[in-house]
Amino acid sequence: MTVSRLQSGSPPVRNAAYARLVAERNRFTVIMTITFLVLYFLLPILAGYNKPLMATKVFGNVTFGYVFAFAEFAMGWIMAAIYVVRARTFDRLALEAQR
Amino acid sequence: MTFLLAAVIVAITLGITFWASRRNTSASDFYVAGGRISAGQNGIAIAGDYMSAASFLGITGLIALNGYDGFMYSVGWFIAYLTVLFIVAEPLRNLGKYTLADMLVYRLKDQRVRTYAAISTIVVSAFYMIAQVVGAGSLISLLTGGALTPSLAIPLVGVLMIIYVVVGGMLATTWVQIIKAVLLMFATIVMTVLILSRFGWSFSNLLGQVEARNGAEFLGAGVRYKNPIDLISLSLALVLGTAGLPHILVRFYTVPTAQDARKSVVWAMVLIGAFYVMTAFMGNAANVLVGREAIARENAAGNMAAPLLAQALFGGAGTVGGEFGLAFVTAVAFATILAVVAGLTIAASTSFTHDIYKGVIRGGQATEQEEFRVARLATVGVGVVAILLGLAAQTQNVAFLVALAFAIAASSNLPVILFTLFWRKFNATGAIWGIVGGILTCLALIAVSPNIMGIDPPERTTGRKPIQAAPLFPLENPGIVSIPAGFAFAALGTLIGARRREGDDQTFDEMQFRAYTGAGVEGTVAAHD
Repeated sequence: MTVSRLQSGSPPVRNAAYARLVAERNRFTVIMTITFLVLYFLLPILAGYNKPLMATKVFGNVTFGYVFAFAEFAMGWIMAAIYVVRARTFDRLALEAQR
Repeated sequence: MTFLLAAVIVAITLGITFWASRRNTSASDFYVAGGRISAGQNGIAIAGDYMSAASFLGITGLIALNGYDGFMYSVGWFIAYLTVLFIVAEPLRNLGKYTLADMLVYRLKDQRVRTYAAISTIVVSAFYMIAQVVGAGSLISLLTGGALTPSLAIPLVGVLMIIYVVVGGMLATTWVQIIKAVLLMFATIVMTVLILSRFGWSFSNLLGQVEARNGAEFLGAGVRYKNPIDLISLSLALVLGTAGLPHILVRFYTVPTAQDARKSVVWAMVLIGAFYVMTAFMGNAANVLVGREAIARENAAGNMAAPLLAQALFGGAGTVGGEFGLAFVTAVAFATILAVVAGLTIAASTSFTHDIYKGVIRGGQATEQEEFRVARLATVGVGVVAILLGLAAQTQNVAFLVALAFAIAASSNLPVILFTLFWRKFNATGAIWGIVGGILTCLALIAVSPNIMGIDPPERTTGRKPIQAAPLFPLENPGIVSIPAGFAFAALGTLIGARRREGDDQTFDEMQFRAYTGAGVEGTVAAHD
């Protein structure tokens, strides 16, 4: 069989844990995705439309553009860390949902 | 010395390949290493798949020649992993088995989708692969002072990668990837430490030297990208395309669980992030220590910046240290290309064998031995095609081929993945329209873009644009138009194909339950085998 199916006659159980999992996970995904897309696209938008700002020196010869770009890396790591922490809740709810 | 080091790396990786071949006894072993790779190993392998020659050689060169604009590539390529982590990694692992098509067919229950998903996988892999093979050809040719021409070097790389994949399958490919990622990180860290020691451990000092040599505009944006829309379009393709790249997606099936898929992406993000941060040091240092003129003299696109930087850092041209540095970094770059091409080859041949041969041609009825044999034959076929296309495209700009692969992945695979996971009414017609519409829009826009069309001055004889006319589409990367078009085609197809069938809602609910909880994954996998 190339098409896998759950055993028919045993529809997945809908319980409170599953409802919470779907709601929390969707909310988390939407908020995080919009946040990082907005913060990320600030970089090419500023690079395209506000070149003087990007070239402004902040520390010594380090420009705002470099500070912003390095901050994007920090943002990526922080958001991944937040996800790892939140995922523990999701994993627990997923286990409960399957009971 | 370069040859010696490259030969040592090739010998070690071939040794691993033959070791892996003894543990490689089923189709599942071949495609996804039997799903037994650990999350940490897989994370390093994902990082390895991603830190391609385009990243290591390409970005270092772009920063060295264009300053800040080059570094923006690094940021986009890194941030793309958040899309993968948040949206695709876990559900894909929960729903799929070997390929993207497995996941789509699980939800949509239509074998036609399998064919189109496989075609999309093969098209994206092909564009990515041609770029790597062409890059390998020019790298080897430059290093041997032209003794090995690209026409000889391209088949050499192709044959090596066929051996890795045919003999060792996914297990060997994964280990080759891990070794290469460790070597590449090691080389990058050593170079970064040497750079910092030269510039008083201060990034500010380094940038000060860059400014003194090239002027202040080198520290700001806009040296390379004059049109802001072009930059935004490219950023869109990079950030959304990664989540649709077949050789990254196939890596989620090599780990046992969705949790492991998530952990691998986090591991990959740590490594890839560290690596891309260091490209800012390497590119700027190459600009100061080697110089734009010297870099452009070796290769106009800047591809030799990293090896030349290593030569300068280890003592300069003509010294033993300098030659060793050059040889080591070049050998690492060579291993990088081999490993990435092997990863792409396995994604393409898995999709061909599992989806098109077994799923469509044989109606899912192939025996294990037959499938395994066809998978190996398909690899040889994919490899030969890659060599031929690479030879045909050897004068093309490789960065454009890579960015094109990202744009196609973002326009065809991503809309279909997202709609499959989250849109209750999505159907097979929508999936087919999305894949075909996304790919065709992308290819059509590229065909009339400045990559293909343009008026070259008559004295220019090599690398002329294939169509000598003003471009009809102004952007180099079509992402900003083709990605929304892919979503629109998928939505339109869904509406056109909408026939309420009994059980559609139940199918969606079952799929969602499994995507969110991972329920029944082991059971279904067992039923498959």
